[in-house]
Amino acid sequence: MSDLKEHQVAVEMKVALDAIEPGHGARSAPASPAAWRRLRIGIWLPPLIAFAVLALIWELYAHAHPYTIPSIEHIWTSLRENPHMYWANTLTTLREIAIGGLSGILAAVLLAVVMAEVPLVERAVMPLTVVLMVTPIVAIAPALVVAFGFGVFPKYLVTGIVVFYPMLINSLAGLRDVDERTLDVFSTLHASRFETFWRLRLPSSLPFLFAGLRIALPLAVVGAVVAEIAAAGEQAGLGALISVAASQANLPIIWSSIVLLCLLGIVLISVLALIRSRILFWDNASSKRT
Amino acid sequence: MTSAAEAADRQAEPVTMRGATDGGVIVAAVTKSFGAGRERTLVLDDVSLTIARGEFVAIIGPSGCGKSTLLKIVAGLLDADHGRVEIDGESVTAATRDKLIGLVPQSPALLPWRTVLSNVKLPMQLNAKANGHRTLRDPEEVLRSFGLGNALKRYPAQLSGGMQQRVAIARAFVFDPDVLLMDEPFSALDELTREQQRVGLLEFWQSNRKAVLFITHSVPEAVVLADRIIVMSTHPGRVHKIFDVNLPRPRDAHVYEHEAFHSTAADVRAALRDVTEDPYV
Repeated sequence: MSDLKEHQVAVEMKVALDAIEPGHGARSAPASPAAWRRLRIGIWLPPLIAFAVLALIWELYAHAHPYTIPSIEHIWTSLRENPHMYWANTLTTLREIAIGGLSGILAAVLLAVVMAEVPLVERAVMPLTVVLMVTPIVAIAPALVVAFGFGVFPKYLVTGIVVFYPMLINSLAGLRDVDERTLDVFSTLHASRFETFWRLRLPSSLPFLFAGLRIALPLAVVGAVVAEIAAAGEQAGLGALISVAASQANLPIIWSSIVLLCLLGIVLISVLALIRSRILFWDNASSKRT
Repeated sequence: MTSAAEAADRQAEPVTMRGATDGGVIVAAVTKSFGAGRERTLVLDDVSLTIARGEFVAIIGPSGCGKSTLLKIVAGLLDADHGRVEIDGESVTAATRDKLIGLVPQSPALLPWRTVLSNVKLPMQLNAKANGHRTLRDPEEVLRSFGLGNALKRYPAQLSGGMQQRVAIARAFVFDPDVLLMDEPFSALDELTREQQRVGLLEFWQSNRKAVLFITHSVPEAVVLADRIIVMSTHPGRVHKIFDVNLPRPRDAHVYEHEAFHSTAADVRAALRDVTEDPYV
């Protein structure tokens, strides 16, 4: 089935290319379809071209304005010359995301479960969470650093706060979005509240949970970096590295750190997508959506 | 309004007492309204019926006659305002606690993350303490007899609508409940598939007789399947007429050619015409 889908995508891409360059399909007709399917050229080539064009523009601009942005070569040299510094700081940021982010996610899901089961709790706590959401995290971060010092705790806290709201809202929506008729079957069998939660509400909320994670994980990177910038110091993560390098106008370090943050986000999202496809194999509707 | 006394009065009516001694379902003088104040509308008015053990009763009526509401009351999903429902001499709450009711909703309502086999096992896993005194069926065997032997390991999304609905019916049969409630289970299927599903249900039910309450929109469906057909009228929902279906059992696909099939269908249609406001139905 997935083979078929890939083939369809490949065919669609080919059709699109034919439209741009008429005769393309006809000229290479015998070899083309198999190669298209095997190498999936249609899938990776267009974004590759887009990236190449962007890199070219970047290089042209960097050479014209060397004090505004560094060239790609300078970024690469910086990364290669200080692998230990970058690696250590990346790990620090990753740890903040892992510990702070996961705690925030866990807390949000647990609260959503309680809210879904006890409406009174939702009425009491929901306004509070809205206050938390509308307060700009950039403003809270320095305050938390003052309150809790330059250690790791305020960083975990800021990261946790940032992921909390999207996870709460999505989990709550997921726990509520239960098929009425399946619920009828459960109640006719006199399923206990726990059985209904465990065997019906929780699994059917998973697509929403993963949708929440897709929003929360990049936000966790933002939260960790904001907290690090508010409490900069040596070996204190990529955000701190950016902050320190910015004060010294060290362009290659700033941009190398940004590149690493980018990669970190991409890795997180890719791992998430992988886990999602394993767990939510049954969720056809929303896999079509994403 | 002395509703309790009134309800007691109505219970004394002979029709409600039919089948009272040998289990099955008794619905006695059930009344149900929705909304409050001026918006309040009476949906079911003094509805009484019985389903004997092993009897197949179909309810048919125009949209808005409250037949789905009635089924929900019998399933314990809604409470009646007045009146009484008994299943095997127990209240509905007690009957659900003992897992006496198998529900087949309008949509298959399967768990998409479970395989077909695992979906059918669900009723055994839920409320497991009610499993004690009953003979649970082998889920694989039930699925095989529904022609789903090749689909045990498949997921609902990989099945056609008709197959999904058969899984839902197998799920309702598998824990051996005394009563089956089916709410237009075939209404979402195309006509050809419906025909197959009817015959399939007929075959299975004839070798596993349960009390069945079957809601439908289709006259032929009601006649082919049921022992009795209850025609309901609308606004508010009342029992309009009850027909006995005098077709021999076991029935099969040839039942459509039977003389009695056509005459009963004609009678039911005539009764439906009486209760339908729109004359062109």
